[in-house]
Amino acid sequence: MATVEEATPSGPSLAQRIWHSDNLAGWLFVLPAVFLVALFSIFPIIWGFILSLQKASLLSPIRPFVGIDNYTKIASDPHAITAARNAVVYTFLFVPSSIAIAMFLAIALNQKIRLIRFYRLAVFIPVAVSTIATGVMFLWVFDATFGIANWALGQVGLGPFGWFNSPQGALPSLVIMTVWGWLGFDTIIYLAALQGVPHELVEAAAVDGATRWSTFRNVTLPLLGPATLLLVVWSTISAVQLFDEVYFVTKGGPLEHTSVPVFYIFKLAFTSSFGFSAAGYAAALAYVLFLVILGLTLAQFWLGKRVVHYSS
Amino acid sequence: MRRRALAAALLGVALIAAACTSSDSSGSSSGSGSGEPVTITLWHGYGKVESPNGQINHEALSLQNQIDAFNASQTGIRVEDVFCCSNDNALEKLTVALQGDLQPDVTYQYGTSMAQIATAPGVMDLAPLTQDAAYDWTDFFEGVRAAGTIDGKVLGVPAQVGNLAVIYNKDLFAAANVPEPTADWTWDDFVAAAKAIEDPSTPTFGMAFPADGSEDTVWHFDAMLWEAGGDILTEDNTHAAFNSPAGVEALTTLQTMAISDQSMFIDEANSKIDALFNAGNVGMVISGPWAVSGYKDINYGVQVMPAYASGSHQTISGQDFWVAFDNGSERAAATQTFLEWLTAPEQIQQDSMETGHLPTRSSIVTDQFVTDFNTKFPGEGLFAENLNNVQKARPALTSYDQVSQIMGQAIVSVLLGQAEPQQALDDAAAEVDQVLAGG
Repeated sequence: MATVEEATPSGPSLAQRIWHSDNLAGWLFVLPAVFLVALFSIFPIIWGFILSLQKASLLSPIRPFVGIDNYTKIASDPHAITAARNAVVYTFLFVPSSIAIAMFLAIALNQKIRLIRFYRLAVFIPVAVSTIATGVMFLWVFDATFGIANWALGQVGLGPFGWFNSPQGALPSLVIMTVWGWLGFDTIIYLAALQGVPHELVEAAAVDGATRWSTFRNVTLPLLGPATLLLVVWSTISAVQLFDEVYFVTKGGPLEHTSVPVFYIFKLAFTSSFGFSAAGYAAALAYVLFLVILGLTLAQFWLGKRVVHYSS
Repeated sequence: MRRRALAAALLGVALIAAACTSSDSSGSSSGSGSGEPVTITLWHGYGKVESPNGQINHEALSLQNQIDAFNASQTGIRVEDVFCCSNDNALEKLTVALQGDLQPDVTYQYGTSMAQIATAPGVMDLAPLTQDAAYDWTDFFEGVRAAGTIDGKVLGVPAQVGNLAVIYNKDLFAAANVPEPTADWTWDDFVAAAKAIEDPSTPTFGMAFPADGSEDTVWHFDAMLWEAGGDILTEDNTHAAFNSPAGVEALTTLQTMAISDQSMFIDEANSKIDALFNAGNVGMVISGPWAVSGYKDINYGVQVMPAYASGSHQTISGQDFWVAFDNGSERAAATQTFLEWLTAPEQIQQDSMETGHLPTRSSIVTDQFVTDFNTKFPGEGLFAENLNNVQKARPALTSYDQVSQIMGQAIVSVLLGQAEPQQALDDAAAEVDQVLAGG
């Protein structure tokens, strides 16, 4: 057993204790990462908070403090309300549809059929394609005149649709494009979860005379709970943070119908389109967005604990 | 074992530290000792001289050659050029650089950013250069000079200038039996030609218009507004003036093509116009001298903007500037010397003939120059002469981008059939008035 060293009046100094600590090499190994995280995450978080209390343009060094003014004016900013409303609509369309389609695809890809590896690869490829390439492709696919989507739908007597050009259609078009782009990721998660479903449970259900549907409903689906919770949380966070596709494909248009919070924050901070000294206000909006995402995530985990009964 | 791990960890830390500090040493070597030349840095957005597929970028090459020539011509100053970013991102890059006090001595910037740049710390007033009689500042086109001068301070010397004219597909005009545009055509002619060329079966559009609501949308409208006799703001820049009968007339012209005639291709992301025009699916585009080099596959012509029955042929110029930052008196003086050389008539003429850039000085645009220019760059001669049709400039205000954003939304709302011209412009004017009042 260790002796009581605290009692001795002159123990090893702090420097000596650090030098002889078993953890020293470990700390040194993570030091570069800690340094980078501090530089690129923690410092901007603190600086962003200070900025959110100022009336500031990033170009000019004159940045008077305005207290919480930047926070109080959010509620009366029509552009912020539009962006928030678009984010809510987008999230409610994107999250359920991407998860439902991914589950369907994962079940289909879990079959023992020929060329299954090819099909799995085909489903995953869009995730690996850059957003810009996806954007260029969908701009033409969804072109009202020259696009293949309107041509194909025209063959079965539908359309033509305005897609990104139509105020009502732009946001749903964006949902279709992003669901396509992210489906592979969700599908892989579900596929992994499906392969973790114990075979004996499915067999036991079959022995008990369960139909395929009730086996899925009562055995498989509950066991996919943890994966579903993960995907709901993850998809919601990325839906609320949507930016790249909007920045490249619709630029928030037409008429702000696809303006979403992060895009609006970007425009405020790095352009003058919504006001010249708006970087402080943009930082305040970013903080509110952070709190909203934190709240959403906590609520989902809280709800998840009550619905999901199996931990992964 | 433990010692070895410790050594590896220490080595890692040392490497990171070295990587983080090494960038400093090259940036701040502005040799102040005797004999050492003063080094200044120039940021541009022309790209690399040679692209990965072996194509030569003439804009970058011309600038590179001029800088090399300057460096060779004297020993006191060394100019280093840096391809910082696309010109579209030049203001963002500068903004970030200013946070770290790492601003270059010279940077290429859009004219529409000048009012914002005026608020940046350390931006140089180039008035001492432009007041020097030998520099002949008044030789530069007036609209160009005005856009770089904010509150009496000259914040940049012209780097490039462009303007809008109509570029049309000659074959489509011939196929539709429409006479090609002349120097005295009108907007009625333009609308009629667009309608005649439009053909949904091919499909072919009469014209294409950038409809992302950006400044690109707005400046197309500005030129039409001025031709109709209107203005963007009142003379004292305190109220919107674009909701005048002239503004409604200009926007109604666009509405006719977009809604009634359906002869306009509405480019919602502003990314397809050049490809469609070059593919022969669009009869006319309104664009600038930078665009023609992309139209390799079609037989095109260039003509001045049409006029309204009551007015003259005008256009709008877009100008970019070399903006200078004061990084100490020695470098500031060197920067001024270099800019004086770079924007002297010889250099501008040489650059124009190398790249197809329009000359920024009026003394260069002689008949001989226009002929030579047109021979080397078909269609560009008209853009050079068209500089004389620039009669007005966009207001130089820090809130201009906001005004533009609001106008852009109004124009797009009409093009998409969501609003009528008068109502859209009135609503936008009310919003602009609020912005101008500081709301």
